[in-house]
Amino acid sequence: MENNFVIFIISNNRPNNIITLKTLKDAGSTIPYYIVVDNEDKSIDNYIDIYGENIIVFDKKKYYNNIDNFNNLGVYRSTTYARNACFDIAKDLQKEYFLVLDDDYTAFKFRINKNLNHPSGFFKVKKNIDKVFLYTLNYYIETDCKSICFSQGGDWFGGEKQFGSPPKRKAMNSFFCSISRRFDFFSTLNEDVNTYMGLGKTGNVFLTIPFIQLDQMPTQNNKGGMSDAYINSGTYTKSFYTVMLRPDCTKVSLMGRKNKRFHHLIDWSIAVPKIIDKKYKK
Amino acid sequence: MKQISLFDDNKSFDTENIYVQNINVPLYRPRGINPNIRELFDTRKYNRLIQKIEESDIDSNIKDFLKLAATRHIVFNYEKIADYYANSNQKIQELFEDNALVVIDFNKAYSKGYINLAYNIANQYFENYGE
Repeated sequence: MENNFVIFIISNNRPNNIITLKTLKDAGSTIPYYIVVDNEDKSIDNYIDIYGENIIVFDKKKYYNNIDNFNNLGVYRSTTYARNACFDIAKDLQKEYFLVLDDDYTAFKFRINKNLNHPSGFFKVKKNIDKVFLYTLNYYIETDCKSICFSQGGDWFGGEKQFGSPPKRKAMNSFFCSISRRFDFFSTLNEDVNTYMGLGKTGNVFLTIPFIQLDQMPTQNNKGGMSDAYINSGTYTKSFYTVMLRPDCTKVSLMGRKNKRFHHLIDWSIAVPKIIDKKYKK
Repeated sequence: MKQISLFDDNKSFDTENIYVQNINVPLYRPRGINPNIRELFDTRKYNRLIQKIEESDIDSNIKDFLKLAATRHIVFNYEKIADYYANSNQKIQELFEDNALVVIDFNKAYSKGYINLAYNIANQYFENYGE
């Protein structure tokens, strides 16, 4: 299993600031990694100078033309295409399993302690993160999930009261994937939400594993990446893409305390088919 | 409740019948009620859209398209669908499964595997931070 697993870090215009890579190394990661950049990134040469053979370049326009982008603006500032390219890259590398990460993670944190309770305080993974990844990958392999991911800060609004809740049927940010369970991300914005909502309604399972949380640079404070796209369109457009896709269970809502922003709000009781124990099957 | 050792050398935990207080697996537990079939879906918005389309003065082929698009507003209550499934006969259950209205945890991969994952990550917490 270990030999059939790689990490892809998707990056854009941040050759000197791939925070995720430092975070992985600090946590003891030895799993092979590749940094995935598109062929229109003006800093490709800088990436290659710094990371050499660990850089993989993909044809962005090819992937743009392959999916429904949810608009006809011809603007393709999106992580969608890199995420889709990762399936083909893994296939070329002859790796069955891969983990797709963004480039701005500052920590992977434990959200469960040795007593199976929520830890009090900040406990980042300091060593052996390979084991965390491989145990999670093992769960992914045992189930037939399309993809699973680690929790992120937003999953913990409300604090540790969230601990113990069943895993959410969503997948954002970090994606455990398999070339045998290929799926396409779609839409230029909110592509992670649209993907699990679009595919989830027909029984494709996506899960968020709450035992680990990744920390990320605030989107609009970190230059490069998707920050510009969000600043330009605000978050209403992004959120409404999901309403277009799933008007049966999604609406646009306000989120946040001081600085409120638009966000999609999903009624999960009507969003995806439930997973039930085999004992109910006659 | 069966007692288990968290840091046993055997990493495969017997979680078959273990209740773990803080860990809720990603399974829905049907409530033992048998809802009426009409409770499984909500067509109110769909009906409003259909009425408006029917009353409009547009080409029939556009009407046909809009009626298909209106089905996107039909709400399916997947909790009640799972409740209904649990009370149905084999023939109905198979048709529900074919239609992906429920997902069956056949080998307890979702549930048992999830508990194992919790223990294994907890074990990594211990290796990182000890007590």
